[in-house]
Amino acid sequence: MTENEPTVIARTVVRIVVPIILVTAVALLLQGHNAPGGGFIGGVLTAVAFALIYVIYGLDYVETEILDRTALPRALPGEPVEDESAQRPGVTKEFSEVLAIGLALAAGSGIVAIALGYPFLSQAVAFVEGIPLFHEIEVASALAFDLGVYFVVVGGLLTVIAVVGAE
Amino acid sequence: MQPNQWVMAVIVGLPFLAAALTPLVYRLLGERTAYASAAVAAVSFGLVGWFATTGARGLVSWTWIDAPGFEVALSFYVDGLSLLIGFLASGIGVLILTYSGGYMHEEPGKMKFYATLLAFMGSMLGVAFAADLVVLFVFWELTSISSFILIGHYTGESSSRYAARKSMLITVAGGLFMLLGFLLLAGEGGTFQLLGTEQALFAQAESLREGLRADGLFVPALVLIGIGAAAKSAQVPLHIWLPNAMEAPTPVSAFLHSATMVKAGVYLVGRLRPLLASEEWQLLFVAMGLVTMTVAAILAVGASDIKELLAYSTASHLGLIIAGFGVVGGGASAYGAETGSFHILNHAAFKAALFLVAGIIAHEAGSRLIDDLGGLWRDLPIAAGVTVVAALGMAGVPPFNGFYSKEFLFEATYELAHASGGLWWILPAVAVFGSVFTFLYSIRFLMLFFGEKPDALGHVHTPPWSMRLPAVALAVVAGIIGLGGITATAGVHIGPLEEFVRQVVGATAIDQGGEHGAHFSYYLPTEPTVPVLMSATTIGLGAVAYPFYDQLRDVVRRLRSVSLLSANWYYDSVVEGLDRSRAVESTIQTGQLRTYALVLLLAVSVMTLLAYATAAVGLPAFGSVASPIPMVIVLGVAVVAAFAVTRAPSHIAGVLTLSILGFMVAIFYILGDAPDLALTQLLIETLVLVLFLLVLDKLPPFYGEARRWVLARDAVASAVVGVTVFLTVLVTTAASPASRISNFFLERGGVPAEHGTWILDYGGGANIVNVILVDFRAFDTLGEISVIAMAALSVITLVAMRERGEKQ
Repeated sequence: MTENEPTVIARTVVRIVVPIILVTAVALLLQGHNAPGGGFIGGVLTAVAFALIYVIYGLDYVETEILDRTALPRALPGEPVEDESAQRPGVTKEFSEVLAIGLALAAGSGIVAIALGYPFLSQAVAFVEGIPLFHEIEVASALAFDLGVYFVVVGGLLTVIAVVGAE
Repeated sequence: MQPNQWVMAVIVGLPFLAAALTPLVYRLLGERTAYASAAVAAVSFGLVGWFATTGARGLVSWTWIDAPGFEVALSFYVDGLSLLIGFLASGIGVLILTYSGGYMHEEPGKMKFYATLLAFMGSMLGVAFAADLVVLFVFWELTSISSFILIGHYTGESSSRYAARKSMLITVAGGLFMLLGFLLLAGEGGTFQLLGTEQALFAQAESLREGLRADGLFVPALVLIGIGAAAKSAQVPLHIWLPNAMEAPTPVSAFLHSATMVKAGVYLVGRLRPLLASEEWQLLFVAMGLVTMTVAAILAVGASDIKELLAYSTASHLGLIIAGFGVVGGGASAYGAETGSFHILNHAAFKAALFLVAGIIAHEAGSRLIDDLGGLWRDLPIAAGVTVVAALGMAGVPPFNGFYSKEFLFEATYELAHASGGLWWILPAVAVFGSVFTFLYSIRFLMLFFGEKPDALGHVHTPPWSMRLPAVALAVVAGIIGLGGITATAGVHIGPLEEFVRQVVGATAIDQGGEHGAHFSYYLPTEPTVPVLMSATTIGLGAVAYPFYDQLRDVVRRLRSVSLLSANWYYDSVVEGLDRSRAVESTIQTGQLRTYALVLLLAVSVMTLLAYATAAVGLPAFGSVASPIPMVIVLGVAVVAAFAVTRAPSHIAGVLTLSILGFMVAIFYILGDAPDLALTQLLIETLVLVLFLLVLDKLPPFYGEARRWVLARDAVASAVVGVTVFLTVLVTTAASPASRISNFFLERGGVPAEHGTWILDYGGGANIVNVILVDFRAFDTLGEISVIAMAALSVITLVAMRERGEKQ
């Protein structure tokens, strides 16, 4: 991205579009139970938002500006840093953490069912009544699982994009 | 009494658990991990002893899959034979692990060593107690794998790697033959259960043999299983891995190659003896056993290294055991069972002791060459005492322990020859002939401690107690067995010992539960019977020949160096021949993704097409293709875009036209009332497009000129893949089951009309696709996201850690 500096138009569009994409992604995730959407789609859409930032602002931007970390030295998690100036783009540790959290959430939501005496990954639906304005709200335990899926997809795709994109 | 299920689980499971925990333990205890591991072995030993003393016999089983005709169970069986091998594996395990504490003091890789040794012990215990052919096979191969790691302990040395590879190739290949044999047995018997239930193979031994014979499969099954046993127990000509295996640290040699792993083969022969006993069985195993016994004994005489001598001697004694188990006819069957059962015990005691002595010599004198050693008794008095008991036992000199079991072999061969006559008379002659060499090398080993001490031999240190005690313990066991013979002559029997061997004999006797085992006892002969004369001849010939030991040794070495006579030469030639396959690697292992993709896709397609062809699936009739016009238009655009991709002059044009294709598919989904799919397709398409943007300016702007044949090849490959996918879609959508599964989802997916506060049986969502994904088939989804996680991890490993791997 260094030799072809993106235009102001591109930067401005990304600046406006990315928040919208992210909000849409979360909306897709939450409405998935009753309308098209869900964890996978929401996750992919979130990854698209980040990929846009990568394309327009470069690989370092996410690390320095959003995650507030110094981009250098770039090392893999657990890798000893030998050469401080090595311009080897790294894997952001947060991405792998998101991945792990997602997997834990998905598996954990299944284990909760076991703890309550149901088969692994049994899902339940609860109706909370008497809420003003809505009267009744449906709470599905599947949402926790969906959230796990979402995080895995986001973490996985971002890891892949960061690693492959850095090549 | 039925054995306790959980005790069984601890016996077999604890070593594996301990092996898994070894890295942690090692961090805490360091060198003393040896004693912690020995304690684990002691627990297993104690529990095996508990089984033995409380009379717990019978089947222990954990059922996993219980579908009719497809029973899968982890089942173990406790009887005399399995207890014997269990005792050997765990008991000698205790001693060896203790000994390792002293021996491995300055060796590298101790953590791996103890973990593998424990895992090996667990596998061996599994082999001993397995009551199911599959379970037996799995543990059997686990012993091969763990011994591979142990033999190759010194990973830096090429001889060590060669030895490890050799033992792996031979024992694992043998195990695969054995697996085929097992499958034949199971195919005929209809079950993998070996013994313990009413349907088990043992319960139907008679009809099993007849059935196999009727199909002409009896001899193949016998030979296949025999190859497995021979490979594991180092029978000629598969014995060649055993001497090389001496590259391993001495505790390993003592454990694996005297007491346990090589015993797996003889164990199998003993175990299956009641099942498969027949004329063919006798011919196969008596011949194999006696040939091995003789050839390996001769080779042992030619050995120049003490561990090599012991290795050949091990092969020789295993031959003796197998020959014993082989004898099933002519009224000698009981003697055969007694030979095999008793000699397993005797051999383990004296051979493990001798290996430990060899380790002490190598460690303290700094040499393992027979010619460099002598007069060691002054420096190593305790080892000398151990060796006297153990080596004379090995030589078969009365009243030491090996004498009695060899007497049984002589008796068995003599009785067999006497009953059958003719060529069978070769057997006792060969038995005596082989035993002479056994006597010779045993005495040679003993003489390491006596005579003059060579000047070149420097100061010999005193070994630590952790190394001396195990050897002494084994010698005491061997000595007690020997003493039992003397006292039995005087009318005082060692009750528990005889009772125990009786049970082992009972387990290997052909007439299950018959009276064969009931009479076992051994004593010093008091009158000149034929076996006594044979023993006397052996010792006499040996004593006469011993002064000419060096000449004999030179003759053996000269014979051994003739390549056509050496099994090693054949092994090396075959392995080298196979090694030429490297020539192919430049065309297959190109390191280019497209080569792999081509091979993979073509293989999958061809196999799928072949499967369709063999199954003769019919294609659905193209009667009612009624597509609305919008769909036709969308698909038409997609096809045009697909052609445009192939004609695209640059990468950018290619990517954009490819996206057109993708978006058309998404619209097609929308038209087909699949909003979720359409959304996913749209997003993925967008993501791919964005990703392409990320890498686009790194790629060369134009495609290179491809060669004509490459283009042709790729065209053919893509056509094949396309046709396969097309056919697959047609075939898979053709079937329409009577009760459609979608109805179930449709009924249960949404919120029911009458709903309480908590609903478990219903998905409670209006989006059926999502409800299926996260509720009805959430396990699938969990698997899929695990795949995503794994893919991400592999990308990190493949791409980001590429350089890191090279650095290490």
